[in-house]
Amino acid sequence: MIEYLIDGPLWYFSLAVFVIGVLWQLVAIVFASRKGDLSVARGNATSSALKNIFSRFIPHREIAPQIGVQVVAGYLFHLGLFALLFFAAPHVLFLEQNLLGFGWTPMPHWAFILSAQAAFLGLIILWLRRMTNSVSRLISTLDDHIVAILTFVVMLTGCLALLEGFTALRLLHRFTVELWLIYFPFSALMHTFTFIPSRAFTGAWFGRRGIDA
Amino acid sequence: MRIQTLLLLFCLVLPQLSPAAGPPTNQDFPQGVSSISPGSELWREIRQRDGAILEGTSQVKSVDSGVLINARGEEWARFRVTKLSSYGGIAIAAIFVIVILLYVVRGKILIDGGLSGRMVRRFTDYERIVHWTLAIVFLFLAITGLILLLGKPLLIPLFGKEVFSVFASASKEGHNLFGPLFLVSLVMMFLSFARRNIYEKGDLTWLLKGGGIIGDGHVSGGFFNMGEKTWYWMVILIGFVIAISGLILVSPVFGQGRWIMELSHVVHTIGALILITVSVGHMYLGSIGSEGAMEGMKSGYVDINWADAHHDRWGKVCHDENLIVSAEEYARLQGRKPGDSGELATEQGK
Repeated sequence: MIEYLIDGPLWYFSLAVFVIGVLWQLVAIVFASRKGDLSVARGNATSSALKNIFSRFIPHREIAPQIGVQVVAGYLFHLGLFALLFFAAPHVLFLEQNLLGFGWTPMPHWAFILSAQAAFLGLIILWLRRMTNSVSRLISTLDDHIVAILTFVVMLTGCLALLEGFTALRLLHRFTVELWLIYFPFSALMHTFTFIPSRAFTGAWFGRRGIDA
Repeated sequence: MRIQTLLLLFCLVLPQLSPAAGPPTNQDFPQGVSSISPGSELWREIRQRDGAILEGTSQVKSVDSGVLINARGEEWARFRVTKLSSYGGIAIAAIFVIVILLYVVRGKILIDGGLSGRMVRRFTDYERIVHWTLAIVFLFLAITGLILLLGKPLLIPLFGKEVFSVFASASKEGHNLFGPLFLVSLVMMFLSFARRNIYEKGDLTWLLKGGGIIGDGHVSGGFFNMGEKTWYWMVILIGFVIAISGLILVSPVFGQGRWIMELSHVVHTIGALILITVSVGHMYLGSIGSEGAMEGMKSGYVDINWADAHHDRWGKVCHDENLIVSAEEYARLQGRKPGDSGELATEQGK
């Protein structure tokens, strides 16, 4: 019964919430009403938008020493998670059989393990940084903590089921993934889709005013 | 085909036709076969009962591929079940009993004069991140490791074999995955804290007084006292041994033989049991066992009275260099409202 629920209705429900929720949020952002900028442009908004998208991958020199730990941990976590999501053999197979109908070459097992370890270490350090730095702790919301813990639990249940020999562990992982998908559109996880438009918007806004962002 | 059938029948029937009804004796084998049962000698040799290593030849070219039966493996398995698991379980249970008794008998170690609310910076954000990263990884490995070591006698009676097999599989995968993270955290810990944990004059006095447990009053200490330094070097040294032996176990592809794996397992388990056992004491003294201790790893600041009581030599430096921040300033640094500033101070300390 539980197996049927998790593999069937709950999976489709969570997928629907994820897709519709994300689209809803993105459409809402695109069509959000705002006043037109009537000022005379002092710089090129488009080039600044493009520049800002890429320049933000590297921290500003002035603040780099203060945020070095979170930059390194951030890259470890995000690159590790990306590799796990799209190149882990079980995920490639799952996407091929359940969603896309085609697959691609997965990464070897050793790379899978390294990616998982990088992602875990990065996430633990990022969350601890949030908790230990008084400013980060103050500006953190409940949502930030839920997102971190939920993502950790999803990754953890996935790794505990690595042997692929027990249905219970597979179902546990899939169930946590479904919770994650349902929570995704209503949380800070949306930055997955919004970080590029956000950087572009900021870059364009400053660029038009002639400010080097 | 007929000839083969006849031969088979002959082999089967021949022993039954023997006139000697009793068991065969040496006299029954006059052609020089000295053993009653040649098979037993053969298997004794193969099982290496006499301690001699018997390695044959095999088409399979890998480590120990010429060894048919590894008798030492049985010894290791028996040692694991009868000694490691049982004594390990007793050690873990004993430390919890000791800590509870200590709390009941000795109580929380209070600071003379109580907490003042005036604070001094003890650890940076990075140092606390390093500490808690190691702590999280260590706890995860300790729990999964103990499930693997003690799960069979403890969890099977509670949950049954099927549920335990799920626990065991999950623990094994999680343990193997998080193991290398322990090594990374350990290196971070070594680089961050090694300099301040070098032993110095006065540390021995701390040890002789049992860190203040023996007798009344607190004993003198620097930034880290003798107990903390010893715990630190235990974590680093035993931790490295655990990490290296764990890597040997998790990667059996570098030509290590069975005995190296068995030795690694024993060393890994004993080292881990020592660290787990002592860590319970560390966690106790760092939290409910000692007033004001937790704050150092929580906010990075400690009460100056706590510093004076437990680390007087470092406390003196804080006084001399005027490193103390007021309760209001501390509240501001922690982002609290001014009214919350005195929440750490006890009435006695004010």
